[in-house]
Amino acid sequence: MDNTNRTNLPKRRHKRRFSGWTTLVWVVGCLVYLFLILPIFVIFLSAFSPNAYPEFPPTGFSVKWFSAIVGDAAWSKALTTSIILLVIVTLVTVVLGTTAAYAIARLEFKGKQALQAFLLSPLMVPQIVLGIALLYLFTDMGIIGSMKGLIIGHVIVAFPYVLRTVGVSVSNLNPKLELASMNLGAGPVRTFFRVTLPLIKPGIVAGGVFSAVTSFGEVSISLFVSSPKTVTVPVRVFNYIEQTFDPAVNAVSVIFIAVAVVALIIIERTIGLTKVM
Amino acid sequence: MTKTKKKYRRNMFSWILLTPSLLFMGIFLILPFLLLLILSFHDVDKYMNTLSTFSLSQYIEVFTSPFYLGTIRSTLWVALLTTVICIVLAYPAAYLLVRSPNQGTRTMFYILLVSPLLTSVVIRTFAWIVILAQNGLVNEVLMKLHLINQPLTLLWNMNAVIIAYVQVMLPFAVLPIATSLGEIAPNLRQASMILGAGRLRTFVKVTLPLTIPGMISGAVIVFSLAAGSYITPLLVGGRLQPFLPLSIYQQVMQVSNLPLGAAMSLTLLLFVGIVVGVLGWILKRWEGRMNG
Repeated sequence: MDNTNRTNLPKRRHKRRFSGWTTLVWVVGCLVYLFLILPIFVIFLSAFSPNAYPEFPPTGFSVKWFSAIVGDAAWSKALTTSIILLVIVTLVTVVLGTTAAYAIARLEFKGKQALQAFLLSPLMVPQIVLGIALLYLFTDMGIIGSMKGLIIGHVIVAFPYVLRTVGVSVSNLNPKLELASMNLGAGPVRTFFRVTLPLIKPGIVAGGVFSAVTSFGEVSISLFVSSPKTVTVPVRVFNYIEQTFDPAVNAVSVIFIAVAVVALIIIERTIGLTKVM
Repeated sequence: MTKTKKKYRRNMFSWILLTPSLLFMGIFLILPFLLLLILSFHDVDKYMNTLSTFSLSQYIEVFTSPFYLGTIRSTLWVALLTTVICIVLAYPAAYLLVRSPNQGTRTMFYILLVSPLLTSVVIRTFAWIVILAQNGLVNEVLMKLHLINQPLTLLWNMNAVIIAYVQVMLPFAVLPIATSLGEIAPNLRQASMILGAGRLRTFVKVTLPLTIPGMISGAVIVFSLAAGSYITPLLVGGRLQPFLPLSIYQQVMQVSNLPLGAAMSLTLLLFVGIVVGVLGWILKRWEGRMNG
């Protein structure tokens, strides 16, 4: 977002009376932000609550839900599965997304916009439909319930994020830098690796963070294509919520929030939060 | 080396870079939908075994049974309601984002906006269960304030689904609207006010039309997410809600009528596609009017 307009505004702005409308908008706006953060706040409240159900205001402090999951073989197996998946998915998605975003930015051809829409479409295709479509395909291919299936499913949903963040970085890149490299005798391959890649690194890192977070939290597709042997943490959380109310889930939730916080920091330090969408 | 040859080499290189993604997305995004399409025209026997004969029977069932028609209607209604609420709430939120007095406040608003996107949907849904359950937070606070004597049933209905949906999808509406708002030259609003229009009139006649592109981009994403998710409705609304993604989930996971599940999936895809297409067309027309 461009904020040069704001800084150049005359100081007169401050003299303007704060009207009733402006106040109302600020109050409503602040309520909306409170509403957005409410679930995360509640998770913290219940994760450290001594009772099975959270209380407001809190009556005590306890870490017993955390000790309930530490050392639990099933949870740690799910965590291992999730982490292995996250690493592979992030690597694959970053390579595919970066190369595709760069190529699309540099190529001019008919139907480019349609291709871009197609590559971004996993963001909008109904998740239930994508999940079922992949369930059929993987059953036919004989990879249903395997890590392979999960990797493919996660890469599909994480791909658009990398395409976007790297796309932002490439469009901010001054093409003259690449031309200079080529004029000095470097071929397109060398230019790409020695000039372009280092310059678009922030977008790549942010894209990697997005695909890691997406993979770690993915449940809509995982639920269809995983098997009891390849249960991920979110799938396990889903099963728990659906069948019983286990407050240990609260403690697991805190892991997800910690991951989100780390992701926020990395995104802010690389491309900046304002460039996310 | 001539200039055209250099350009040719660069283009060649770009196409080579693009190929793996095209192959991957082609195989794993187009192929499964083709399979789904073929499957949806198959018949089933009474044991739900997929037969090799083709017919329109699955689609006839979807489009003639009052139950499925009602489900489609309520699915579209819930998605529409979620979209409208998200858009309405997105304006004040986007306004605060654009007009924040300093960088620190702005960053804080961005953190509040982006953090829901980074937390898994099961976790956010779980939080809503904790908030809305019989012995959840809302009931507890209301009982302590002696506003109610019996806990209210807030979960297991479509209202709970809409509340959870709005929280999950609001950022997708706020971010594009904020971008549109930020692009409006401030003197346009000033001009409107100097010419005597009040704040409300300026908003309706100047600001609102200029943010239509952001509003539509937001609406497209929110609507397709709301119509196609099943995790939140399943956990917060319950299995039995008349909601197309839930019916699909049931057909595939419990009834095992795969062709019917496929036909319903494609019906859902079709409706989402129509809405997205219409919104996209409106956006194009609008931008054409604005620029021409």
